[in-house]
Amino acid sequence: MNAIEVNALTKYYGDHLAVNDISFSVKKGEIFGFLGPNGAGKTTTQRMLTTLLKPTSGQILINGHDIAHDAYPAKRVMGLVPEESCVYTELSAWDNLMFTSSLYLVSRSERADRARHLLETFDLLEKKDVKVEKFSKGMRRRLSIAMAIIHKPTLLFLDEPTPGLDAQSARDILGLIRQLNAEGTTVFLTTHLIEEANQLCDRVAIINNGKIAKIDTPENLKLSFQRVQSVEVSIKPNDHNYGEALGKLSGATSLVKMGDKWRLYTEDPSLLLPAIMKFAEESNISIVSLNTLAPSLEDVFLEITGKPVGAVKQEPNHKKPQKRGMGE
Amino acid sequence: MMQMTIQRLKNEFSQAWTVIVKDIRVYYLRPGMIMFGFLMPFFMFFSFSVRRQMEAGDGLARLLALTIFFTAAAAGPFIIPTERRVRTYDRLLAAPMSLITLLLGKIAVGAFFAIAVSTVALTAGLLIFKVTIAQPGFLALGLLLGSLAFSALGLIFGSIPTNNPGDVQMPSTLLRWGLMFISGVFVPLNEMVPAARIVAYFSPLTYAQDLMNHSVMGSGMINVWLDVAVLLLTSILLLWPSIQLHKRAQVLGN
Repeated sequence: MNAIEVNALTKYYGDHLAVNDISFSVKKGEIFGFLGPNGAGKTTTQRMLTTLLKPTSGQILINGHDIAHDAYPAKRVMGLVPEESCVYTELSAWDNLMFTSSLYLVSRSERADRARHLLETFDLLEKKDVKVEKFSKGMRRRLSIAMAIIHKPTLLFLDEPTPGLDAQSARDILGLIRQLNAEGTTVFLTTHLIEEANQLCDRVAIINNGKIAKIDTPENLKLSFQRVQSVEVSIKPNDHNYGEALGKLSGATSLVKMGDKWRLYTEDPSLLLPAIMKFAEESNISIVSLNTLAPSLEDVFLEITGKPVGAVKQEPNHKKPQKRGMGE
Repeated sequence: MMQMTIQRLKNEFSQAWTVIVKDIRVYYLRPGMIMFGFLMPFFMFFSFSVRRQMEAGDGLARLLALTIFFTAAAAGPFIIPTERRVRTYDRLLAAPMSLITLLLGKIAVGAFFAIAVSTVALTAGLLIFKVTIAQPGFLALGLLLGSLAFSALGLIFGSIPTNNPGDVQMPSTLLRWGLMFISGVFVPLNEMVPAARIVAYFSPLTYAQDLMNHSVMGSGMINVWLDVAVLLLTSILLLWPSIQLHKRAQVLGN
């Protein structure tokens, strides 16, 4: 039996189609990433899975229970970490945990032990009696996760767990998710951070405009997009004109400036590499570094969603530009 | 099966109590609750009472009706939109308890607040103005039922799908003011023109005021058991619009 089974799920907000007839399943013990650009339908889907939102049509089974008929058995096994750290800032960390454990019917004898253990694990024990309004964003997020798992859920939903956190806090939280998964918790992770999904997830679904575009393991997704291989080159002098000229080389399909490097996308690096070497020699510039790169999950994501992430993309102009991404 | 049902009911009761205790700790001392729930009925009462001659018992009956009405109805429109805004309401909705349990918990939060505030008014009436209570049993019943009924009324406004307490405070305050003027609090039923009296009979506050009159002064215009029945029915019936509004919010995604 799957932890989550979704069949033909659709959600309209008025006339706006937010989620369009999606079907997928999540196996028990898996970390499943739900990846997509802002407004793609990720949070809407997650809110339907966690019973907060009623689907327009379709079916959701949690551990085999249809939540439209009886959400109670599903709610007992679920933990929810919403996008914002939904904690009671007027209460202490300890009181937040006591409240949630009581709400999720953890036995009175176990509450204190579990809360203490979680606060220790999440490095919050020293601040247990401090009001949460004095906590940093990272501490609130850790407390929010602790509140979501105090009843030992077998299925944990996390909505964008790391945005806005400093690097150390984000790393700590990813470590905690891995640890929970190693202990048997199935994790449904909603994120727009591709690298986060790449590092954590056993499988990833990419959702765009309310439709699931691809579901597979991160590595299989990358393999299926070999046409987005790239060559990363750093030149000296790093002149903008030289960079643009690189983009016009034969075999380059698009060009992106990545800090002090230029990334040239290509379907065939073996064709592009000699062209770069020849260009450097003829232009009397030196190559500081030259690397060929397999497609990253980010490349796959861009191909599918057509949404640039971070980098400023420049199209070569020596031939009709071949635009990257389905949506463009 | 029977055992499971009893266990589930016990669980739901315990969860409702958990919500009540949390709300009391988090919200009772918030400025919005103190302003609309605690100070407002006293302001209303004193602004009405200035330069009016009335018996101490009559004044206490009016003050008690005003406090249970204003205070109980203040909780829902303040607490739920605040929780929606900071998203803590999602935690409650996702928890393994029924919507009715959650809403009953929220009604109790408003009712307890109203009982506490009206106890302050009652204590002042007994100690300072030396009022004697004619029917203490009906007073206790009236405070309890009135608080539940008006908290359920406030809950309807709290259930309107919005993240902003200001969106619901305005209409809920308008309704409360309207009811206050038509319900025999400021102008007794026997002094109203017949048309106004007919309108007054449609307001639950009329029955709360009449029950307070029976309790404190020993007499009222309506049968005391009808007052009790109307307040009890109001408490139950006003839960229904809140359930429907919550279901609507689940569809709209608010």
